[in-house]
Amino acid sequence: MNAVIADALADPTPRSLWSAAVRKLARDRAGLIGLAVVLAYLVAALGVWLGLWATEWAEITGSKWAPVSAEHWFGTNIIGQDIFQRGIYSTATAFEVGLVVAVLAAALGGVLGALAGFFVGSWIDELILWAMGVLDAMPFYLLVAAVAFALADNPWSMHVAMIATFWTTTSRLVRGEVIKLRGMEFVEAARAIGVPPTVTIFRHILPNTTHILLVQMTLAFVDAIKAEVILSFLGLGVKGGMSWGLMISESTLEFLGGHFNNLIAASCLMFGLVYAFNMFADALQDALDPKQVSA
Amino acid sequence: MSAAPLLEVDGLTVEFRSLHGPVRAVDGVSFTIGAGETVGLVGESGCGKTVTGLSLLKLVPSPPGRYAAGSVRLSGQDLLAMPESGLRAIRGRALAMIFQEPMTALNPVFTVASQMTEVLRRHGALGRREARDAALALLKSVGIPEPEQRLDDYPHQLSGGQRQRVMIAMALSCDPKLLIADEPTTALDVTTQAQVLEEIRRQQATRRMAMLLVTHDLGVVFETCARAIVMYCGVIVESAPVAKLFSAPRHPYTTGLLESMPRIRDEKLRELPTIPGRVPELHRLPPGCRFADRCPRAKDDCRAVEPQLTTAADGSQVACHHPS
Amino acid sequence: MTVLLEVRELSKHFTARGGLFRRAGAPVKAVDGVSFTLARGETLGLVGESGCGKSTLGRAILRLHEPTAGEVWLDGENVTALSGDALLEHRRCMQIIFQDPYASLNPRRTVAQAIREPLEVHRIGTPVERERRVDELLDVVGMRSSARNRYPHEFSGGQRQRIGIARALALDPALIVADEPVSALDVSVQSQVLNLIANLQRERGIAFLFISHDLAVIQHVSDVVAVMYLGRFVEMAPAAELYRRPRHPYTQALLSAVPQPDPARRAGRIVLQGDIPSPTDPPPGCPFHPRCPLAVDRCRGEVPALRAVAEGVSVACHLIE
Repeated sequence: MNAVIADALADPTPRSLWSAAVRKLARDRAGLIGLAVVLAYLVAALGVWLGLWATEWAEITGSKWAPVSAEHWFGTNIIGQDIFQRGIYSTATAFEVGLVVAVLAAALGGVLGALAGFFVGSWIDELILWAMGVLDAMPFYLLVAAVAFALADNPWSMHVAMIATFWTTTSRLVRGEVIKLRGMEFVEAARAIGVPPTVTIFRHILPNTTHILLVQMTLAFVDAIKAEVILSFLGLGVKGGMSWGLMISESTLEFLGGHFNNLIAASCLMFGLVYAFNMFADALQDALDPKQVSA
Repeated sequence: MSAAPLLEVDGLTVEFRSLHGPVRAVDGVSFTIGAGETVGLVGESGCGKTVTGLSLLKLVPSPPGRYAAGSVRLSGQDLLAMPESGLRAIRGRALAMIFQEPMTALNPVFTVASQMTEVLRRHGALGRREARDAALALLKSVGIPEPEQRLDDYPHQLSGGQRQRVMIAMALSCDPKLLIADEPTTALDVTTQAQVLEEIRRQQATRRMAMLLVTHDLGVVFETCARAIVMYCGVIVESAPVAKLFSAPRHPYTTGLLESMPRIRDEKLRELPTIPGRVPELHRLPPGCRFADRCPRAKDDCRAVEPQLTTAADGSQVACHHPS
Repeated sequence: MTVLLEVRELSKHFTARGGLFRRAGAPVKAVDGVSFTLARGETLGLVGESGCGKSTLGRAILRLHEPTAGEVWLDGENVTALSGDALLEHRRCMQIIFQDPYASLNPRRTVAQAIREPLEVHRIGTPVERERRVDELLDVVGMRSSARNRYPHEFSGGQRQRIGIARALALDPALIVADEPVSALDVSVQSQVLNLIANLQRERGIAFLFISHDLAVIQHVSDVVAVMYLGRFVEMAPAAELYRRPRHPYTQALLSAVPQPDPARRAGRIVLQGDIPSPTDPPPGCPFHPRCPLAVDRCRGEVPALRAVAEGVSVACHLIE
């Protein structure tokens, strides 16, 4: 019955699945607002990377615990560093952690999931499933802490830990999708024509999982930013830089003095980005849903 | 037909939101069903037959759907104007529905007995014991072998034909006055389809229940219904007693549909007759008759003015400027 | 007419895979010792209900499923013995058209990419020649060449089915297995696609193995019809003969069950009792005996063999001499 209704509504002339998704996204107001906010954050991060602003985040530019003023928009911290600059600088850290983890976790999960799915039932599949089962059985923060301790001096230890745990969700989803796809008639058609298996995976199967990878990347991005804040707070995260987590960690020293600027600034900045990104991710998920796009 | 029909659909119009703005999946459909009458609603996919069937129970998902105009009167009561609470008392009781895919219409985590007794206890106010006995009697009446065992089975343990029989038994459990069957046998094999159709016919006759059979299959309509309504692009193009419709169709679309239908013939044809072209999209309907672009009889007036459904002396209807 | 395809005692059994923690299940005999021949340019209609093994048979012939036993000879060569490049080379001669026009084309590849792919895999022609061939094939199946750069979802079911047919024709195969090619289409579109297939067969001399559950559809395209039940042929006869005089009780029931807008056919309806048995646990003796209105004791114990009973007519039934 839904198919019939969908048929009646079928859009006759979008050029490709992607342009149909973009058109759909463009009609989603909440998604667009989310995207605009995320882009604003991205501009802030780009400025940091290019050295345009927040260059004095580590300098002592004012007196200790200076109040909000034209000079120090969010005030200063316990030793007189500018909280606004530190908050903006942390945006770059958040993007770096989020992007690295999201891209690599999705890539790892995509490849392993595709392998497991295509060779479903074989030893490759069993091995990958076993690895996923083991990783999923461990409490996340315990695992991250273990990796972080093991790679104590390495600035990438946090990233490694997150990638090692985040790929399993993507992998499971991709595996399921690939199992579905390999039974589809167009994959059978490729076999009937004589297309070799490797070409089949890359030409016919993986391109049809990109919607999963994209959505998973957006989810991993948000998860990574949130995890970074907690890990940095626990002292397992960012080393030799500044992040919202470190700011919140720092703020614990300030509570007794009745100063909450650091905590409020870091929390609000993080909340703004995570919330906006979630709004965008929801819209993206709807737009990329192949059932709705290709109906 | 009695003086006051059981079901009276008048000017039913259902709109759906789409990328091209609202489109009318059903556009001003009017028909009646008398008590005990079997009516077939036929057409190809996208013609609005399923949406019409769902509208009779006000089940069109909304949004994206919207009842833009018209009324559906069951024994004089307008269902579309009724609040949801009132509808719940009517659905499954005076009006019951069976769907195409019995596997998805049955809840996989409950046994047949618990799904059947739920309906009976809610609508029939029966006790646990009585409801189970009633369910058993119903399963027997629809010809399910070993009904005692089947009661405690889960839907996946039944074959497709048995599931559809269970659906029929559930639909019949409150003695509905009108049964709406949406492609009830499309998912079944031919031999099973024959069994299920036989069962529907038998139940319909013994219970003197009216039925609207929504289907794409002209053969099924011919064998099951007294009257057929043909839909095309959201409107009714023809309505007539089955024998008349099949022997002397008046609308060119009906003619084309009947001719192009592959059927077992005495002689194999070299070329099957076809309807040229394709169904127009709902958001780009031609100005006049919706069938004009594909019609062998189309003249200038067909492309300018949309034909209205006109009723002949015998009650049959056709919407065509040049009916045969 | 020369023989194109010869299938000898072909079987395909599926076994639920065993694993580290799983036990292998009982085999399902989807196809169980099927033999037949098909002449060049002829169409064999294969009819049966869901689960009878007709699709599996088609795929085993193409080696999309590896047969469990038996041989498939195409053009004098044993296809079941081929592997690697020799099998690839042979795939040119045999192609398939699928049931679901929504699943048989990769949604992310354009029409031209889909039709060109077989030519690329088999390194046929230059890129320019391939483009020309795509246009030519689109024309053959009745589509405009403006379709070439569009994506499958922009087309209706019938149009997609035409694109699938164009892809199957690209390699000029001698045999096409058509697996329920019109079942998912609306009536008015069904007849268009059936006419196209009938024309291709006439004009290009392609042999078809046409699989369908619909006897009316089968009649329109077939020279010979085989009826399958639980993995075996129960009757095989020239189309005209089978429809005029169905011999096996199952064929008779199947024919009479087709809903027809024809009052004459309504009278003699045979409504079978019960359901098709599960292929994991087929009944002993004749697989049809639990539903057969004519079954005798012998049917319950002894499997009837497919025997020739008249010119070109074979039936597997103890009651038919």
